[in-house]
Amino acid sequence: MVQLLVLILCGSIVISAILAVCLSDLVQATVSAGLASLFAAVCYVLLAAPDVAMTEASIGSGLSTIIFLYAIRRTRAAGE
Amino acid sequence: MASILLLGAAALVLLGVAFAVTRLVIGQTVIDRIAAVDMLTVTSISMIALYAHVSDRFIYLDVALVYGVLSFLGVMAVARYLERGL
Repeated sequence: MVQLLVLILCGSIVISAILAVCLSDLVQATVSAGLASLFAAVCYVLLAAPDVAMTEASIGSGLSTIIFLYAIRRTRAAGE
Repeated sequence: MASILLLGAAALVLLGVAFAVTRLVIGQTVIDRIAAVDMLTVTSISMIALYAHVSDRFIYLDVALVYGVLSFLGVMAVARYLERGL
């Protein structure tokens, strides 16, 4: 049961990463990258590493998405 | 009885993940994808809570708690960005 769940989550990580690379809109690519990090955090919980999952959830999915959006906004304001 | 309920809950969580990933892949606008990501965060929190109950390790509920706060912040940041705020 847990192995099936981990397999589905790994497939979702691969799908999110492919979307993050292939999407042309930068905001959608950022959201997809945060989603890959979300699935990785759930995967860490299922693999019995809750501290790594907490760090991944806070930094990878929360902080990096906000910093990426801030950087996109600042560079677009400078380019226009 | 309890195991049947847990199995049904796990099946519903997997169904939710499948539908949200489908929406994420075929969604054209950014609003569709953000809604799919928000649904996936809520589904992931319920998955973590379910797994904490199944494996009898209640330290996992802390992860679900932290993730609930932070995923809310992330979705709010994207929404503020789309409204030209941030």
